[in-house]
Amino acid sequence: MLNLLWILLAGYGAGILLPLCLPRRPEAQSLTAGVPAIVATSAGVVLGLLGLTSSEPVTGSLASTIPLLTLAIRLDSVAAFFLFTISVVGLAASIYAIGYLRHLAGRASIATLGALFNAYLLAMTFVVLADNGVFFLLAWELMSLLSYFLVVTEHEKMEVRYAGLFYLIMTHIGTAFIVMAFLIFFQSTGSFSFETFRQPGQPLTEGMRNLVFLLVLIGFGTKAGIVPLHVWLPYAHPVAPSHVSAVMSGVMIKTAIYGLIRVYFDFFDGQFPWWWGFTVLFLGTISALLGVMYALMEHDLKRLLAFHSVENIGIILLGIGAGMIFQSYGLKELAALGLLAGIYHTINHALFKALLFLGAGSLLYATHTRNMEEYGGLLRRMPWTGFFFLIGAVSISALPPTNGFVSEWLVFQSLFLSFQIPTVFLKLMLPIAAAILALTGVLALACFAKAFGIAFLAQPRSAHARHAQEVPVPMRIAMGFLAAFCVALGIAPMVVVPLVDRVVAPLAGLSIERKVLALDGWALAPVNVEFSSLSTPMLALLLAALAMLGLGLAVALGGRLKARHYKTWGCGINLTPQMEYTATGFVQPIKRVFSTIYQPTVKLETEFLDESRYFAKRRRFEFHIEPIFEKYLYDPLVAFFATLAGRLKVIQAGSLHLYLTYIFITLIALLLLAV
Amino acid sequence: MQVFSSIGSQLIDLCSALLLLTCFAIVAQRRLSACVDLFALQSAFLVLTATLVAYLTGNQHIYIAAALTGVIKVIIIPRVLRKVIDRLNVKRELVMYVNVPTGLLISGGLVMLAFFIAQPIIPLGSILTRDSLAIALAIVLIGLFTMIARQKAVTQLVGFLVLENGLFLGATAATHGMPLIVELGVFFDVLIATLIAGIYTNRLQDAFDSVNTDRLTILKE
Repeated sequence: MLNLLWILLAGYGAGILLPLCLPRRPEAQSLTAGVPAIVATSAGVVLGLLGLTSSEPVTGSLASTIPLLTLAIRLDSVAAFFLFTISVVGLAASIYAIGYLRHLAGRASIATLGALFNAYLLAMTFVVLADNGVFFLLAWELMSLLSYFLVVTEHEKMEVRYAGLFYLIMTHIGTAFIVMAFLIFFQSTGSFSFETFRQPGQPLTEGMRNLVFLLVLIGFGTKAGIVPLHVWLPYAHPVAPSHVSAVMSGVMIKTAIYGLIRVYFDFFDGQFPWWWGFTVLFLGTISALLGVMYALMEHDLKRLLAFHSVENIGIILLGIGAGMIFQSYGLKELAALGLLAGIYHTINHALFKALLFLGAGSLLYATHTRNMEEYGGLLRRMPWTGFFFLIGAVSISALPPTNGFVSEWLVFQSLFLSFQIPTVFLKLMLPIAAAILALTGVLALACFAKAFGIAFLAQPRSAHARHAQEVPVPMRIAMGFLAAFCVALGIAPMVVVPLVDRVVAPLAGLSIERKVLALDGWALAPVNVEFSSLSTPMLALLLAALAMLGLGLAVALGGRLKARHYKTWGCGINLTPQMEYTATGFVQPIKRVFSTIYQPTVKLETEFLDESRYFAKRRRFEFHIEPIFEKYLYDPLVAFFATLAGRLKVIQAGSLHLYLTYIFITLIALLLLAV
Repeated sequence: MQVFSSIGSQLIDLCSALLLLTCFAIVAQRRLSACVDLFALQSAFLVLTATLVAYLTGNQHIYIAAALTGVIKVIIIPRVLRKVIDRLNVKRELVMYVNVPTGLLISGGLVMLAFFIAQPIIPLGSILTRDSLAIALAIVLIGLFTMIARQKAVTQLVGFLVLENGLFLGATAATHGMPLIVELGVFFDVLIATLIAGIYTNRLQDAFDSVNTDRLTILKE
C-alpha cells in the first residue's frame, strides 16, 4: 500500500513539474500534465479500494521542522472512501482535460493550468489523508487557494475576477471557523494530532462541544455550500474551466462532508444531543429545496449545475442529519442507515455531477456559450455527449436504473423510519423533510427535462449550435467512464452497500450490511424487509422489458417506424427556431407558483408600428428573480463593513512618512510602557 | 573558559558597536550609492558577529544563517539597489524632513533610549550578550527613524534593511539564534521585500518622474 502512495505522490509531482519544464507546445503540455495525473489518480482509486477493504487503518508520519506540524497520514475506511471518490472523478477529469485544454489554448497557459490542476488534486488527497490538525489545515488552505487560481483562469473577464474574489473571501471565512474549532480542541488536548482529538485527556465541556459543533458546521458548510452560505457556488463553479468545475462541484465540496463526518462521528464519537442532528437536517432540507428552485430559474447551464450542487449537498445532509438524530436516541441501526444513505449519495453525486459538468463543458467546447437559450438540436450533432448527458440527467433526477435513485431512495427510507423516535416533534419533522425531499426530486426532474430538452432537442436556436460538432475522443471517454459508473452503482448496490458499510460501521458502531441486503444481496431492504424493499437489477430488467414491450406493441399494432419529414403549419407565418419553446417559457408555471420565494420582476416593452397599434414591431421581455440571500443578508453586511472602513479613512492621509511615524511612536510608547 | 568567553563577549560587543557606527554613517550620508555601500558594510559586520556567536556558542545553524546573510545582504541586495539607483535621475538626497545634524542628535537620543529600555533585561541575558541587545534595539530604532526622515524610496528601503539587520543582531546575540526555519523565512521575506520595493521605486520614477514617496499622497481619493 505504501508503494501505491508513493506512486500517487510521484504521479502528482511529475504532473506539477513536467508541464512547467518540458517543451512549449500546447498538445505536449496537456499530455505531460494529463498522463501523470491519470497514473496518480489510478493509484488513488486502487489505494482507496484497498483502504476500504483492509481491516486496519494504515498510518504513517513524518516529523517536520515547523512547530506543531507533523506530516501524519491515516488511511482509515472514511478517508479511503473519500480518496476513492476524489480519484475516480480526478481520473475522469484528467482524461477529459487532455482534449478540453485545446479549447483554452491562447486564452490561458496550458502548462500552468495542468500543473495547478495536479497540485489541486494532490492537496485534496492530503485533506482526506491528514491525521494532524495543522497538516489538515495546510492541505485545506492549499486546496482552497489552488482552486481559486483555477477559477480565475480567464482573469481578463471582469465576471471571472469578481467570482474569484467572492470565492476567496467566502472560503477564508469558512477556514477561519474551522481554525477556531481546531484551536478549541488544541486548548483542551495540547496537541493537534487527530488521535488526541478523538481521546482528549480532559473532555470538552458541554458548552465547548456545542460551540465546536456550530463552528465546524459554519466552517465546512461554507465550503459545502449549505444555504445561506452557498452564495459563492453559482459564481465560482461556472467560470472555472469545465474539468475544474467538475472536480470542484463533484468532490471538493465533498471534502466538507468528510470534515463534518470526521468531527461529529469520529472526534465526538457520535455522542451529541438531538438538536445537532436536527440542525443539520433542517439546513439540509432548506438547501435541497432552495438549491433546486434557483437551479430551475437558471439558463446558464453551468450555473444551473452549481445550484444543483447546493441541492445535492442538502440531500446528503438529510441522510447524515437523520443518522445523527437516530444516533442521539440510541437507534444504532437507523443511524447507520441514515449515514449509509448520505455517504452513498456523496459518491453518487460526485459521479453524476462531474459527468454533467463535463457534459456542460463539452457543450461549451462545441458552441462557445453557456446560455441554454442558444442551444438546441445538439443531439443530432453531438450524439455521444447527448447520450452521456442524458444518463447524468436521469441520475441526478433520481430515476431508476441509475445511482441517484438508489441513494435518494435510501434517504427516503431512513426519513420514513422516524416513527421509532420517541419525540413527537421529530416524528413530525422527519416526514415533513421527506415530503420536501419529494418536492425537490420532482423539481429536479423538471429542471433536467428543461436542460436536456432545450439543449439537445428541437432545432438549433443560434448559429453556434448549428455549427456544433462532436467533441474529441478523450472528452468522450471521460464522460463515458463516469456514465458507466453511474449506471453500475445504480444496478449493483449489492456491491456498493458492503463497501459503504465499511465506512459506516466504525462510525455508527455496528455493521448493517446483512440487514440492508436481502435475498442474497439481490434486493435492498433497509432494516426491515416487510417495511420496504427494492431490487434494482429487477427494476432495470423491468424497465428494459417495458421499453421492449412498448416498441413491440408499436410495431405489432401497425405504427409506422419510418420518419416523415414535413413542415409544421404555422398559420401562414414563417416559423423560425426562435419561436421554439424556450427555457424561460418552460419554467414560467413554476415561477408563478413559487412567486413568493422568487420575487420575480418582469418587464415587457412593446414597440408598435407607426401605422397601427395592432402590430408590434419589436417586443422586449426581461425577467429577474431576486437573489434574496445576497440582497438581505450579504449586501447589508458588506455595506456595514464599507461604512466602518469609511470612518477609518480619517487617519489615512496617504502619506508614507505619516504611517511610518505612527508605527515609530507606537513602538516607542509601547517600549517605554514595558519598562 | 571564563577568560575566553569574556574576550569573546567583548569581541561581540565591538562588532555590535561597529554595526551601530555604520548606522550613524548612513544617517549622515546624503549620497544614495554611498548609503547602499554602507549598508553592505554593516551587513558584513553582521556576518562577523554571527560567525563569532556561532563559534563561541557552538550552534551550527548560526553558521548557515551567517552564510546566508553574507550572500543575500552583502552581495545580492546591494547589487539590486545599485541597479535601481543607476536608473534614477537623482544621486543625492537634497531635501530631508530632518536635516543631518538634527538627525544625528535624534539618533544619539534613540541609542540612549534603547539602553534605558534594555537596562532591566541585560542582567537576564547570558554573558556573551551584555550590550548587544541594547545595540540591536538602537539599530532597529535608527533604521525606522531613517525611513521617516528620508524622502527617497531607495534610502527608505535602506532604512528598512538596517532595521532588519538590527532584528537579526538582536535575535542572534540575545537568544543565540531563532530556529533555522524562522530565519530562512525572514531571509526570504527580506529578499522579496527588496525586490518588490525595487520594482516599486522604478514604477514611482516612471509615474511621477521622482522617487519622493511623499508624492504618493496624490493617490488618495
